[in-house]
Amino acid sequence: MLARGLAKHFRDVRAVDGVDFAVAPNECVGFLGPNGAGKTTLMRLIYSALRKTAGELSVFGLTPMQQRKQINAGVGVVFQENNLDEDLNAAECLLIHALYCGLSFRTARRRAAELLEWMALSPKARSTIRTLSGGMVRRLMIARALLHSPRLLILDEPTTGLDPQVRHTIWAALRELKRQGMTILLTTHYMEEAQQLSDRVLIMDRGRIILSGPPNELIGQHLERYVLQASGLTEVPAATDGIRHERAGDADCFYSNAEPLLQALYDRLPTRSAVLRHANLEDVFLKFTGRGLHE
Amino acid sequence: MNESSVPPGELCAPLPLRTGRCWSLFGVWYRHVRVYRKTLLANATPPVLESLYFFAAVAIGLGSYLLKTGFDGLPYVTYVASGVLAGSAMMCAVFETTYGTFVRLVYQRSYDAMLGTHLRISEMFVGEMLFCATKGAVFSTIVLLITTLCGARPTIWCLLVPLIGFVTGYLWAAVGLVVTSYVKTINNFSFFTTGIITPVFYFSGTFFPVRGHYAWLDVVAMLVPLTPSIELSRALFKASFTPVTGIALVLLLGYTALFHWLALRRMTARVLR
Repeated sequence: MLARGLAKHFRDVRAVDGVDFAVAPNECVGFLGPNGAGKTTLMRLIYSALRKTAGELSVFGLTPMQQRKQINAGVGVVFQENNLDEDLNAAECLLIHALYCGLSFRTARRRAAELLEWMALSPKARSTIRTLSGGMVRRLMIARALLHSPRLLILDEPTTGLDPQVRHTIWAALRELKRQGMTILLTTHYMEEAQQLSDRVLIMDRGRIILSGPPNELIGQHLERYVLQASGLTEVPAATDGIRHERAGDADCFYSNAEPLLQALYDRLPTRSAVLRHANLEDVFLKFTGRGLHE
Repeated sequence: MNESSVPPGELCAPLPLRTGRCWSLFGVWYRHVRVYRKTLLANATPPVLESLYFFAAVAIGLGSYLLKTGFDGLPYVTYVASGVLAGSAMMCAVFETTYGTFVRLVYQRSYDAMLGTHLRISEMFVGEMLFCATKGAVFSTIVLLITTLCGARPTIWCLLVPLIGFVTGYLWAAVGLVVTSYVKTINNFSFFTTGIITPVFYFSGTFFPVRGHYAWLDVVAMLVPLTPSIELSRALFKASFTPVTGIALVLLLGYTALFHWLALRRMTARVLR
């Protein structure tokens, strides 16, 4: 997949504002960004659910919209919001979607049963969609996206609003799919999710890609190794050499490559609501997209 | 998660896909049939009963007191039966692609899910219209059978009634889609149903001849998209075909082609936002 100067404008809103990226086969790429950064719009451009305003995009070497059928035959999409067919039960949902995807009745039934089993939903096969929990709905959506064995799986915030058990189950499933050779595009604003699954992350803000690279490299390149995070400090300790201090609202962050320095600082802090940890993707994300609200 | 149930590698093994138009249309059509079958009694009873109430009240009730002669050379019971069966094809189709489509479009977001597949947007909606056409064929046939039991007198040509119901259903499904493509909230449909569908049902020659009063009214009446269906249905009951029958056929097919084109154009714009 290749995008060059790709843009999508809605009247005066530049949802996607000239992005360049490439995705290799069997790569898992995470698109990170605050709400409204243009992640969903970008995904919709990829599976031809929107017309681009400008730029170039090719998927499997084909052109979206013009070669929608050929592209989408190899694409599975897990949508952000539940759009399962509420007039059907879980098994029927998969069966009908499999027919849409072009499977024969026989293959459709077999795949539906296999994927329900894989997603631990077999006991719910006859349940209507309304009676399923949020986690079940999301697992069913993932099963639905896999019916036709797509080469490319697009997941738009696959675990937003789910409990940790379901999240970890879904992550395990996605890692298994990647092992089996699938290319995965993932949008999320959970940094942990991006760090767990992605070979590479693209950080988006206001329709642009502002940073890209493997999660650990990004952290290493742009931040010190350790962070001491504290809130509600009435008095900020005097700065020490080797420690960088940032303040936002009532929160203070101290960055350093030397853990002992921060440990010493931690011991001197009057508050116990402080955490000393490794710098993570969220720190990078906040550094580049800012701490203010974006909407 | 039970990972042993699917052998490793099987999840992503390529599968043969049928991406042809026929299978795509069948998939969409079958979805509707399957859903409809689940709630057959609840869905199909009201429209059939509604047409029959009109038939009973007007044709059998009122008609037996006031109209011994009927219209157009047909006994009044037969006259109304031939009109109501086309009207019922219109009703069942137009409600499906207004309220039904709107719910799928806005609340259930079914078309978004379909956009994630290889289905063409045209296939998504043509499949739906074909389902409405099927419903039109079935409904008009049911009305034909019941009214026949109640005293209407069909001819052998009435075997073609399902065909008229089919095309009428397709046409009005397309009209419904065009309307839906403009509608912002579901309440807006009441303007369409009471403002257009109800008068069309009453004033397209279903219960009395609209033509023959004023020349201008003849033209207006003929241009209402339900009139050609009723004209054709009546020709079948009379077993007599005149130039007007030919005009009706051309108009019906013309309207169907026009609204098919408009519906796809409008819905494509709406779905792609």
